[in-house]
Amino acid sequence: MEILAKAAFTFYCLIICMGSIMAVASRSLVRALVGLIAVMIAVAGMYLLLAAPFIAFMQILIYVGGVSVLIFFAIMLSRASAEGDEAGPVSLRKAVNAFACLLTPAIILSLIIIYHPEAALDAPTNVPPALLGEGMLGPYLLPFELISVVLFAAMAGAVLAAWRKRGRK
Amino acid sequence: MTDLMLFQLVGVFLFCVGIFGLVRRKTLMGMLIALELMINGAGLSIVAAAQLTTGDAVRGQLAALFVMGLAAAEATLMLAIILVVVKRFKSGQTDRISQMRG
Repeated sequence: MEILAKAAFTFYCLIICMGSIMAVASRSLVRALVGLIAVMIAVAGMYLLLAAPFIAFMQILIYVGGVSVLIFFAIMLSRASAEGDEAGPVSLRKAVNAFACLLTPAIILSLIIIYHPEAALDAPTNVPPALLGEGMLGPYLLPFELISVVLFAAMAGAVLAAWRKRGRK
Repeated sequence: MTDLMLFQLVGVFLFCVGIFGLVRRKTLMGMLIALELMINGAGLSIVAAAQLTTGDAVRGQLAALFVMGLAAAEATLMLAIILVVVKRFKSGQTDRISQMRG
């Protein structure tokens, strides 16, 4: 079983590496979106490996089912050309900035993680979804309600922002 | 190398690649995709910390759920903002959107 888990972890890691590179480097935005969806599914697999199946299903439902469709609409409605607006060379300054932004947090955070390891359990904690529900309706009721308010405000704001007034061109 | 470390490193990788894309991309849609990568890395890191340490696992998983909810709200708003910007500037390229007063 140990070997199987390690194999699955390596497999998801490979998908995450390839998908994320595709998502940031692909010229076509639709291809980038496909890379992002692959990453999302692989992260859901990681959640399964962490013994959090509820989070994994939520990841698939919310990200793969919802957010990726929204991003696809954004790409489609902004009339990105087939070649993509991303085509053409990236200026040297931008590339250098991007690599600096990649390396600085990568080095700092990896060094912290590797040299100051937290005491870790050998096997992940098993939390039944019933406990999550109790937590949501018990001690964390306020954030749970607040997030629905935030979602409603975001939806209403989105409709208001994208509203085309009648009569005006 | 503990398991926790491996999962955290994957989370950091996703986050850093997301930052790279956020800076390098030339359009708003590309930046939105990179942003989602960063949020995924953060969520993975939170759940790994919740499941593999002695901390409260329920709290960690709920935090990940809240992150997902906020990401969904953010994606909705970004869609509306991109629509408005593209309508006004006829382009989603960030270099052309430099005028504050339309």
